[in-house]
Amino acid sequence: MEQFQKKDVVQAVLLTDLRPEAFKPICDNSSTALLTLANVPLLDYALESLNRSGIEEVFVYARLHMNDIKEHISKRQKQGCTWSINMSVKVIGAEGCRCLGDALRDIDAKSLIRGHFVLMEAETVTNANLSYFLEEHKKTAKYDKGIAMTVIYKEVITGVRTGDEVMIAMSTDNKRLQYHQRIKTNFREQSFAMPLDIFLQNSNVALHHNLADPQIAICSPLLLTLFSDNFDFENRDDFVRGLIINEEVLNSRIYVEMLPREQYARRVSNWLTYQIVSNDVINRWSYPLVPDMGICCLRQQFLFLRNNIYKHESATLSKLMSKENIVLDSGSSVDTGSKLSSVVIGRNCKIGKNCNLDHVYMYDDVVIEDNCSLEYCLIGSGAKISSNSHVLEGVVIAPKTVIAPNSNITTPSETDPIAKRFSISTQKTNDTEELDDEEDEEWEVGGFLKMRSVPFSFEDSEYNSSTEDELSSHGSPVPDDTNIFLSEVIDSLTRGYNEKSNPDFLILEINSSRYAYNMSLSEVNFYVTKAILSLPKVKESSANIVQNLHHVLGHLGPVISNYIKYKDAMIDCLKGVEDCCNQEEDFKAKVAQIVHYLYDKDYVAEDAILEWYENLSDESEWMKTHLKKLIDWLMASSEEESEEE
Amino acid sequence: MGTVEFQAVVLAAGRGTRLPELTSDHPKCLLPLGPYPMLWYPLQMLQQHDFQEVIVVVLESQKTEIQQTLEKTPLKLKIDYATVPSDSDFGTADSLRHIHDRIKSDVIIVSCDVVTNAKLYPVVSKFRAHNASVAALFFPSGFEAGITVPGPKTKHKPERDLIGIHPDSERLLFLASTSDFDEEFVISGHLLRKNEKMNIHSRLVDSHIYVMKKWVIDYLTKKDNFSTLKGEFLPYIIKKQMSRMSHPSHIEATSEVGVNLKFEDDIFQYAPSNKLEAQIVKASLYNDSVYKEPYGGDLVRCYAIKAPKDCIGVRTNTTLSYYALNSKISGLWPQLFPNNDYPLISPNAVVESRQIKDIAVADNAKLSEKTSLTLTTFGLHCTVNPKVIITNSVIMGHAVIEEGCKISNSIVCNRAVIKKGSILKNCLIGPSFVVDEESTKEMVHLTNAGGFMEIE
Repeated sequence: MEQFQKKDVVQAVLLTDLRPEAFKPICDNSSTALLTLANVPLLDYALESLNRSGIEEVFVYARLHMNDIKEHISKRQKQGCTWSINMSVKVIGAEGCRCLGDALRDIDAKSLIRGHFVLMEAETVTNANLSYFLEEHKKTAKYDKGIAMTVIYKEVITGVRTGDEVMIAMSTDNKRLQYHQRIKTNFREQSFAMPLDIFLQNSNVALHHNLADPQIAICSPLLLTLFSDNFDFENRDDFVRGLIINEEVLNSRIYVEMLPREQYARRVSNWLTYQIVSNDVINRWSYPLVPDMGICCLRQQFLFLRNNIYKHESATLSKLMSKENIVLDSGSSVDTGSKLSSVVIGRNCKIGKNCNLDHVYMYDDVVIEDNCSLEYCLIGSGAKISSNSHVLEGVVIAPKTVIAPNSNITTPSETDPIAKRFSISTQKTNDTEELDDEEDEEWEVGGFLKMRSVPFSFEDSEYNSSTEDELSSHGSPVPDDTNIFLSEVIDSLTRGYNEKSNPDFLILEINSSRYAYNMSLSEVNFYVTKAILSLPKVKESSANIVQNLHHVLGHLGPVISNYIKYKDAMIDCLKGVEDCCNQEEDFKAKVAQIVHYLYDKDYVAEDAILEWYENLSDESEWMKTHLKKLIDWLMASSEEESEEE
Repeated sequence: MGTVEFQAVVLAAGRGTRLPELTSDHPKCLLPLGPYPMLWYPLQMLQQHDFQEVIVVVLESQKTEIQQTLEKTPLKLKIDYATVPSDSDFGTADSLRHIHDRIKSDVIIVSCDVVTNAKLYPVVSKFRAHNASVAALFFPSGFEAGITVPGPKTKHKPERDLIGIHPDSERLLFLASTSDFDEEFVISGHLLRKNEKMNIHSRLVDSHIYVMKKWVIDYLTKKDNFSTLKGEFLPYIIKKQMSRMSHPSHIEATSEVGVNLKFEDDIFQYAPSNKLEAQIVKASLYNDSVYKEPYGGDLVRCYAIKAPKDCIGVRTNTTLSYYALNSKISGLWPQLFPNNDYPLISPNAVVESRQIKDIAVADNAKLSEKTSLTLTTFGLHCTVNPKVIITNSVIMGHAVIEEGCKISNSIVCNRAVIKKGSILKNCLIGPSFVVDEESTKEMVHLTNAGGFMEIE
């Protein structure tokens, strides 16, 4: 029996084109697997690493562009490239396949898989020793028949989020995956919630928040059955989630392995990860999958020079101002005076004089004329950037585009929370820039992140000790009545504003809170003002505080005028403003505008302002400079009035 | 004084609320554990760690009794008693606050119910090495496994904590009781983002041995809303590790209306920070990270040290663990005191019995001849008359077992009297209770106190 098992070939499944949308416009008409990274198609990286891990039979499951992939593979096989030795590669595919689930069901139907196998995406670049993980997986399978999959993760620095990061909980004694959550790309998780049972049933659960998911998994044949039985599993995340929730019903489990420090794995899932992986390859993290080692060719064609410069024998690199991390393929040339850092240049490209290129990835036959400055962009083959142009962060230029001289090309504004992509459609010959910024419908996994500068060190994520947080935490100080009162008033007003409820009822609510917490009238005045300025609507943007305030008071005006009637109350109100401004950095510059607005709308009177101004506390000393103009103006107008009298 | 690096404080003012059947008016810290009272064990441990002096916090009304009892035990430590008022309902944090003017340096706080042979050195080294604010020792759990408490069947639901420890730095990042959560465990996103990984342990026991900076005690003194250390203050300070110093100018934000809006609790007023020190830490190789900001820039740092798996670490704060330790103590004795310093059977006890196996006997206990005694702890001044068979039980101080009794798997509390010919199985006999002649009891809790009725 054992002899037969030994004869089993080691199999792997490579999936391609699971998200071609992320690579627009380059991958409009070709497979993402054939996208080149440091001038080598991604598929070759994947096949090469499988070959190095001792895989003998690979099925490339092509969802789209099957012929292109077939052609590429047979071309490589004819060349006798390194991965074709001792490894057979078959391209399979089906028209109706929409997702990973479909592909695996199809593979199951064709019964191609005979044992435990490696499941990977063709866009993954790795130098991991998969055979080790395969062995570990088989060992586990000996005592746990329910093992469906071993997922392999890589520890990364999570300062930059690319959509491939996950948060997992795993029991440390048996390495079982207990919880899995993909981390959003926009840094927002206030908290993570997991079933308590995980912790009660396992004595030691490791939470990892620093993992990237390179989409490498070792799978049991059971996995295919599970996919066939549950046709709602679309992608691997569905599968993982479904399996964790129904662990007992399905009687199958997922195990976790971490890549050791020296092994690299990362998936290219969008332009941002494309940029990151390119840099990693140039910086040799993926060794031996680096340009000078001759990936999928038997001869070393690149010279590896100081500062990570990989120069093809036939390329010319003139004396440069500064240069590092460059891949320069055959027939390309860089003219004098250009500064290059982290640049990949395809075949037969020409780069003019005095260009400044930073994180630029060029396909073949690209021409960049003199004095251009390019940052964080990708240029399709045959494109031409005319002289004196600037191309900035995140731009992807489609093949054969011509950019007119002196153009300035950027992506839409940075402040937009949703990453937008910008591409210039093909065959434009003038400088009309066509914005092609479709907004993503949602923050999907593997959203369309653009290239951008990735900071070397990351700022701390801010700890927002919001009041709720403090209050709910056990052992935190019991807030005194004033704070409760303030938060109640804020709640009432927020609700009142959102639901447009009758101001009279709000006054009633505030009054009942007032008696409940035994607030004096002046405290009420003070806090109501503070509450208004603390409303989310007012706070939402510091730039238009006054405008927002106007909005809010449009509805809540009667509430404030109910309290702020006399001079003393007005002073209380102004003190509230003062207090808010002292606490909120954003408000500081706006204090004069806020006060002026309140004056304009007759909430506070001139003499109250003046008296308040006179008695400003030391802490608010800075305010005087801001208020000076307003006060002068008030004085002047009052003098005028008195003169008129 | 003054030059001492650590002061030791033993908290012995607890009322034993988790073992109410055993204590009633008797001090919890004097319950017999083997030949010595409970409080002796932490003191002995401190003495082994070369402490010369120790502050013991006791209830005022119990001070004399405790003092007298301890004087008879072999201790060389100088014990400095601090009292808390008997009528108050002081938690551990309250007790510390009450005695804070005696605390002049960093402290090691030990609860009176800790029995362990774990060494404190790893805790102290960690504390020193990282200039920690708090370092705590955790024991592996599972000591009580397989032991059932005498008395009526109870649903014993152990308190379990979730303890989050960073696997590399051993920072204590999270501490909460499982009962704080319903179905879902929620953890702050910030905590994970900042620390990247964390191991959540659900089967560790808090040893109640803490090493704390003096400023932590000062801070605790100012914050009177914490009443217990472990339940309230520790989770709070662990959480505070992650918060940033707020704008220093806002410390006194008393507004003119006379209401103070900010809590005056800014922990960073207490935590010493100075720029030079911070720079030294940054430049030094001896911090917790070479390529990131050391300690994530945290000024407050808590550490958790797990005691080695094979060490003994028990907190005898429940009836179950108290009984469990007593029934195992003879086997554990060589591990607890490998140098054979302390005999299991006190030389001052009168042991005439011939058939004894694995028993622990305190001073002045009188075990008559013609008895068969196995696996049992005998407290001070207890008397066992002839023709008695006792197995796997605890007989506390001044208890009297009259002739012809058979007692197994039971706890007989202080001054209880078991009259002639009684047979007790799995029973809990309350303090000063008198069991009638010839009675046969099984699985019951007998007590005089009205609060604990006999429940069948």
